[in-house]
Amino acid sequence: MQLAVNITVLAAIYALIACGYVLVYRVSRVLNLAHGELMMLGAYLLLMTATQFSSHWLAALTAAVLLSLSTGVLVYVFLMRKMTGEMVLAAVLTTVALGILLRGAMVLIWSAQQFYPAQPLQIANVAIALPGGARISLCAALLVLTTALVYGALLTFLRFGRWGVRMRAAGQNPLLAAQRGINLHAIYALAWGLSTLTGALAGMLIALDAGLNQTMAIIGLKAFPAALVGGLDSLAGALAGALIVAAAEILLINYVDPLLSEVVPFLVLIAMLIVRPWGLFGTREELDRV
Amino acid sequence: MSTLLLCVDKLEVVYQRAITAVQGITLSAREGQIVGVLGTNGAGKSTLLRAISGFHGIDDARVTEGSIVFKGRRIENSEPHAIAQTGIVLVPERDKVFPNLTVAENLAVPVAPKLAGSERRRRETQVMQFFPKLGALRNRTAGLLSGGERQMLAIATALVCRVELLLVDELSLGLAPVVVDDLMARLMQIKRELGITIVLVEQSAAVALAVADYSYVLENGRIVLDGDKARLASHADIQEFYLGNANGGQRRSYRDVKQYRRSRRWYG
Repeated sequence: MQLAVNITVLAAIYALIACGYVLVYRVSRVLNLAHGELMMLGAYLLLMTATQFSSHWLAALTAAVLLSLSTGVLVYVFLMRKMTGEMVLAAVLTTVALGILLRGAMVLIWSAQQFYPAQPLQIANVAIALPGGARISLCAALLVLTTALVYGALLTFLRFGRWGVRMRAAGQNPLLAAQRGINLHAIYALAWGLSTLTGALAGMLIALDAGLNQTMAIIGLKAFPAALVGGLDSLAGALAGALIVAAAEILLINYVDPLLSEVVPFLVLIAMLIVRPWGLFGTREELDRV
Repeated sequence: MSTLLLCVDKLEVVYQRAITAVQGITLSAREGQIVGVLGTNGAGKSTLLRAISGFHGIDDARVTEGSIVFKGRRIENSEPHAIAQTGIVLVPERDKVFPNLTVAENLAVPVAPKLAGSERRRRETQVMQFFPKLGALRNRTAGLLSGGERQMLAIATALVCRVELLLVDELSLGLAPVVVDDLMARLMQIKRELGITIVLVEQSAAVALAVADYSYVLENGRIVLDGDKARLASHADIQEFYLGNANGGQRRSYRDVKQYRRSRRWYG
C-alpha cells in the first residue's frame, strides 16, 4: 500500500513537471531543456517571498506563482522570441544555455546550502495516515492534488477554451494560424508562461516537502523521460508516461537497489526509444522534426 | 465605378535575400470585383498572394520594392495576423485547415477583433447556410474530410474572419470538375450576398476566365498580359497556351505543333 502511495506521489511530481515540456513542445516544437532550472528558480522564488510574507503562506505562494508566470513570459519575450524562424535545434541549444546560466546565477544568489521554505511559512508537514496503513505527508498530498487540478484545468482549457483551441491550432500549423489572425507571439508567450508556472509549482511543492538545494534541477531532468515516454505532444501521454516511469523507479528501488533511482527514468526512456520512438500517445510523423 | 480596395504597385519579392520571385507586379482590385491571376507552375502566383497576406519569419521572404495598399493603408511586410485582422484572408493552396481539430473547432480558430460573441455566432450560422454540408460534419475531425469538404471548410473559416478581400489559391487543385463547379457557384453566391472582393489564383485558365471580371497573366514573376474577360478570351496566346484551343478548336496533328512562344513585353 505504501508502495502505491509512493508511486502516486512520484508520478504526480513527474507529471506536473512533464506538462511544462509538453506545452512548449506542442506549440513551438522546441524542447525546453532549461525546464528543470526554471522549476528550481520557482522554488527559490518561493523562498524569497516566504521571507517577505512570512506569516501569510497563501500570499507568499501566490506571489511566487505570479513571479514564475512572468519569468516564463519574459524568457520568451527576451530570449526565445528571437529564435522564432530559426532552426529548432538553435532554439533548443538556446534553452541549454539558459539552463546553465540560470544554474550558475542561482548558486551565486542563494548559495549551495540546503533551505527549508516551509519553516518561515510555518507550515507543519504532518504525516497523514491513509487507510491500509500507508502514510503520506501533507505537502505530498497537496502535490498530488495540485497535479490533478493542473491537468484538469489544462485539458479543459485546450479542449474547450477558445484560446486553448487556438493554441492547438498554432501548434499544428503556425503559418495558417497567423493567417487566421492569431498573434503567434502571444500564443508562444502564453505557453512559456504556463509551462514555467506549472514547473515552478512542482518545484515549490517539492521544496516545501523535502527542502531545497542546487540538485533540484536533476528532478526536472528526470521528468523529461516521462514526457518523452508519453509522446512529447500529448498531455494525457505525459500523465501515462509519468506513471510508468514512477512505477518503474519505485519498484526497482524497493526490490533491487536504491542506488538505481537516478538511472531508472533514463533506462525506461532508452527502452521506449527502441520500441516506440514517438512515444505512447505521440504523433508519429512529428518524429522527423525532433 | 466602385472604389479601389487593393492596389499593388511595382511589387518585388525576394526570398532568402537572394532569389527574386516576382518583379514589377502592378495589380488592383475594386470593391466587389473578382480578379483572376493566371499562370503556370512557378510563375509567382502563390508568392503574390503570400506577399499580400503577409510573410512569416520562417519564410525568409521580403517585399523589397513597391507597395501594397489596402483600404488606403500600406500593408507590405506587416505580420500575417495583423493583415488578417484588417480583412484580408488567404485560403492557401495546401494545408488550408487544421487537420487534428474538428470542423467546429476550425471555425472557432479565427480571431476577429471588434466582433462580439453574439454577432460572431450569427456570422457562423450565416456562413453555415452557404455550406449546409458542413453543419452535418461539425464534430468530424478536419483531417478526415474530402478535398471538396476541406475547401468548403477553408472558405467558411475565412468568412468567419470578417473578410473583405478573399484570396483563393488554386480553388480547383486536385478536385473533380463537378466539385469545382459547385464550389464556384457557392463562391459567387457568397460574393453577391456578403459583397466581398475576391482574388482568384488559378492554373486552370478556363475556371478563372469564366468568373473573373478582370484577369492578369503571370509568367516568370512578371505580368505579361491583363484585361477584362472579353479581351483575354479573344487573345490568341490565351486561346493557344492556356485554353488549348488553337486553330479555332479544330483537331490538329502533333506534327504541326510548334512549341515556341511569341515574345512578350512586360510592364514595369
